[in-house]
Amino acid sequence: MADPEHTSPESPARPRTRPWVSVARALRGFYRVLRANVLSFVGFVLVVAIVTVAIVVVLAPHLLVPYGATQETGVYSGPPTLLRWPPSFAHPFGTDGASLDLYSEILLALPLDLGIALAIAGFALLAGGSLGLIAGFFDRPGSVGGYTSAFILRTTDVFLAFPSLLLGLAIVAALGPGLWQVMVAVLLTWWPYYVRLVRGEVLAVKHLPYVTAARAAGVSERRILLRHVLRNVLEPVVVYFTLDIGTVLVTFSTIAFVIPGVVSYPRPPEWGSMLSFFNLNYPISQYWWEVLFPSLAIFVTALAFSLLGDGLRDVLDPRTRRALVESVAAPNPPPEAPELAGTAAANPSEGASMPEGS
Amino acid sequence: MGRSPGDLAIFVGRRLVQLLPVLLGVIILAFVVTHVAAIDPCPRWYPKASPSTLALCEAQFRAPIPVQFEHYFTQLLGGNWGTSQLGSPVLPAIATDAPATLELVLAALLLMVVIGIPMGVVAAQYAGRWPDHLVRVFYLSGWATPTYVGAIIAVVYLAHPLGLPTSGEYGAPPPFPQPTHLSVVDALLAGNLPYAADAVDHLVLPAGVLAFINMGIATRMTRASMLEVLPLDFVKSARMKGLSNLVVLYKHALRNALITTTTVLGVTAGELLAGTVVIEEVFTWPGIGAYAFQSMGGTGQPNFDGAIAVVVVFAIGVVLANLIADILYGILDPRVEWR
Amino acid sequence: MSEPVLSVEHLSVEFQVASGRVRAVDDVSLTIPSGRVVGIVGETGCGKSTLAQAIPRLLPEPPARIAAGRVVFRGTDLVKVPRGRLPLVRGTGIGMIFQEPLNSLNPAVKIYDQVAEAVLIRQWREAGVLPTFRGGPNPFDYSRRPLPETATVLSRPIVPGGPAVERARRRLPGRVEVRREVLDFLRLVRIQDPETILDCYPHELSGGMRQRIMIAMALSERPSLLIADEPTSALDVTIQAQVLTLMKELIDETQASILFISHDFGVIAEIADDLGVMYAGRLVEFGPVAEVFRSPRHPYTKGLLRAIPERYKSEGPLAAIPGSVPSLARLPPGCRYHPRCPLAQAVCRVDPPPVLTRTAETAEGEIHRSACHFTEGVAGLP
Repeated sequence: MADPEHTSPESPARPRTRPWVSVARALRGFYRVLRANVLSFVGFVLVVAIVTVAIVVVLAPHLLVPYGATQETGVYSGPPTLLRWPPSFAHPFGTDGASLDLYSEILLALPLDLGIALAIAGFALLAGGSLGLIAGFFDRPGSVGGYTSAFILRTTDVFLAFPSLLLGLAIVAALGPGLWQVMVAVLLTWWPYYVRLVRGEVLAVKHLPYVTAARAAGVSERRILLRHVLRNVLEPVVVYFTLDIGTVLVTFSTIAFVIPGVVSYPRPPEWGSMLSFFNLNYPISQYWWEVLFPSLAIFVTALAFSLLGDGLRDVLDPRTRRALVESVAAPNPPPEAPELAGTAAANPSEGASMPEGS
Repeated sequence: MGRSPGDLAIFVGRRLVQLLPVLLGVIILAFVVTHVAAIDPCPRWYPKASPSTLALCEAQFRAPIPVQFEHYFTQLLGGNWGTSQLGSPVLPAIATDAPATLELVLAALLLMVVIGIPMGVVAAQYAGRWPDHLVRVFYLSGWATPTYVGAIIAVVYLAHPLGLPTSGEYGAPPPFPQPTHLSVVDALLAGNLPYAADAVDHLVLPAGVLAFINMGIATRMTRASMLEVLPLDFVKSARMKGLSNLVVLYKHALRNALITTTTVLGVTAGELLAGTVVIEEVFTWPGIGAYAFQSMGGTGQPNFDGAIAVVVVFAIGVVLANLIADILYGILDPRVEWR
Repeated sequence: MSEPVLSVEHLSVEFQVASGRVRAVDDVSLTIPSGRVVGIVGETGCGKSTLAQAIPRLLPEPPARIAAGRVVFRGTDLVKVPRGRLPLVRGTGIGMIFQEPLNSLNPAVKIYDQVAEAVLIRQWREAGVLPTFRGGPNPFDYSRRPLPETATVLSRPIVPGGPAVERARRRLPGRVEVRREVLDFLRLVRIQDPETILDCYPHELSGGMRQRIMIAMALSERPSLLIADEPTSALDVTIQAQVLTLMKELIDETQASILFISHDFGVIAEIADDLGVMYAGRLVEFGPVAEVFRSPRHPYTKGLLRAIPERYKSEGPLAAIPGSVPSLARLPPGCRYHPRCPLAQAVCRVDPPPVLTRTAETAEGEIHRSACHFTEGVAGLP
């Protein structure tokens, strides 16, 4: 009679899945996401390549950096005629104003720049994200949480009113030159975006039916926050973090470029300071390689992370994900799937809750 | 239904009032960054200055913070925005330069809207296929390009082949008065078409670079909201009325998708203004971006008063842009009540 | 019998999904004669909405694809019509109303503008400004009737509102006339005082009102075929009754044919003349509605009818069909229904019943078809 094999299974009481099973499942999902979009796959490959190169340069520089030994000491003991040589077989990217091989310099700068970008974005995520969680989750009008949230939001608004570059420049001007100072400057301009982002997500999730159901079932507030809210918030945040790595790098190097000498040159090697050292007074066409190759390095790194992040965004951002469900979805086809009925209508007209761009 | 003209006045009024705390916060934050957080500022702000100047500066910074703030606040509000090291007053300099930046930003915005939004529509229409990928590579490249790199590439490699100028607003000083300081507008007002064309020529590269770098914001947002809107039933209804694909996309779908795209205007303004700092300097455009570049010490001549003033002015610009975006959203989305 | 308005012949629609291709509609054939209401009934996921949207080729073609079959509308095979020409067929040829009226009316446009748009398209087609669809082997009429005031030949205005069309508009009914016609159609759908809602936006009106406006918009173009995709499913029962009554009166008044999709047997019973039952992408039964209700010839139909709660007194469990609808990606071999079928035999597991060839004639000579190896046994089921 009724054949249980060919009917779709009723969902049984779901047993507790082991952590490694969920990790494996997440990885598989991640892989499927990557494959769905050519661009995100390209971005992923590039990012992996870049990170690998960075790791190799740090751990075993002699493998990839042709003039490593000389560079590390910072003291050049070769002939002064190596100043600003155009690209040649011996120096594929040419040499720069400190008579150092540009190719090696760029490679040596890679882990530093990557690390800087990761650190800034990471701290911004932690600081801004926590504040955003608080501002979103404990936002009950009239309570202590409510006032805290309002204060956090107002402060965020004020910070966001400054164009990021300008605020960064002003902070650098206040703190003085130096790598750490510039990092702090960029960090201080970046955290507000995460507050807005996380708060927006928390608000969106807070009122979802299943959160209310969990509350009604007696789940503690803390558990709700950690398990339900956080998990939903994590996806778009990861996307923005990936995108941000590229943008932070670009902003950081722009500050290094605008204020000459803010990041010392040539040590530590950093792409922005390489460009800044070559200041605008020189005719560019004369020493084009000094501009091109560091710029290319910044561009390629930022592009790789942006490709990856933007590709991820299609799938992880809950708004665009539903629209693209066809290509990545599970085997069940969507012909009778309930439409986005009411998504456009149900969004309260609150104005932007998520930041765009950097 | 809560959307009468009188309601609109209330709507705008409330938003304006909500501005004030943010403006106050902006002034305070600018103060904190430049005065309170400053670590040994004097030698950096006044390099190669005489010892007496340095001593004056030190004294100023050693004063108690409330005194400093009162001085700062009254100066700011009183219009006495100080002078540069060479003695040229800041406020008139900013006032004359600001319209040029406004013109640049508006031109870039126009380019972003005219190019970026249709690109977003195309990307949404062909989502997942090669036009989508092409559009994404395009705007992500813009995103990944540092401003100065884009500007320098444009100056060195694009200007000559395209025959476009790379500095200033006009080729030669204009023979007509400049009431608005907006180069194109002034030329048109004076009825001087050759100069107007020249002004547009000068505008193309800087606005183009600025737009290219920030195109992603508009394009991505348009694409995302179009993707949300296209599967909805009313798009199908529009097709079933017998409207052509173009009409359905641009008259029906886009009208809904644009509602969310305008909310991005505020962030866009911030990014565009940030971009002007480098672009104006590279293209010798006489705006406050270049002024900011120089005040921050980009050319070795920092200007403390100028820096503060320019930072505050930029922040006010962003706040105003956000306000406009908010109001626009309230107008465009018929579901918003003007309360 | 005159030529049917719509004749669907062995239509199959496939979707491209991550795991391959899935057939949402498999070898469906039906005809809609002029002036009849054909209802399609089935559970969620059976492909009825896909069928409804595939007929005017409304499905986005990259993920969806018409894999086989013909859709002959007034003598023209719509499957062969190039995509760019489809807008000419829609509107005055086929109209459609959807399920969720909040989403089927443009939320950012006023009611007047939306209905007027439909009215204008029809007027322009009638005046020869826009090309029209006339069916048959040569389906598109691009001829222009010469306009007395303008001696210049109009360029092809596919997009209403271009400058050439503006000139033609001078010859067309003016704004006042358009407004009058909009009001007429709103009154046709029994909206009292339609002037008051002209400036409203869809979100300001009730669901029943919005659905009436949808119907008005569809009818104002005077289509030969109206496809109604679950138009009452999102409405309250009382409003549902009003809208159904309205539709029945309109059918009498306008003589349009209707393809009515629903999951609700009661609604179908009210309005349809013929009834088709779909399961897992296939049409398993088709016949006159009274006949299908009285003596269903497919076990699935019988099971569905039995499961309707009204037919039971309040004792004993509800007679649900055991199991559930299979995923279209993992269809059972042979007959798709056999895992849940009380009449299943060995042949059902292997051999899919030929689609709709087991026919019977009713007393009035109408054809009642079903796709089951053992249709005779259906009558004997409890």
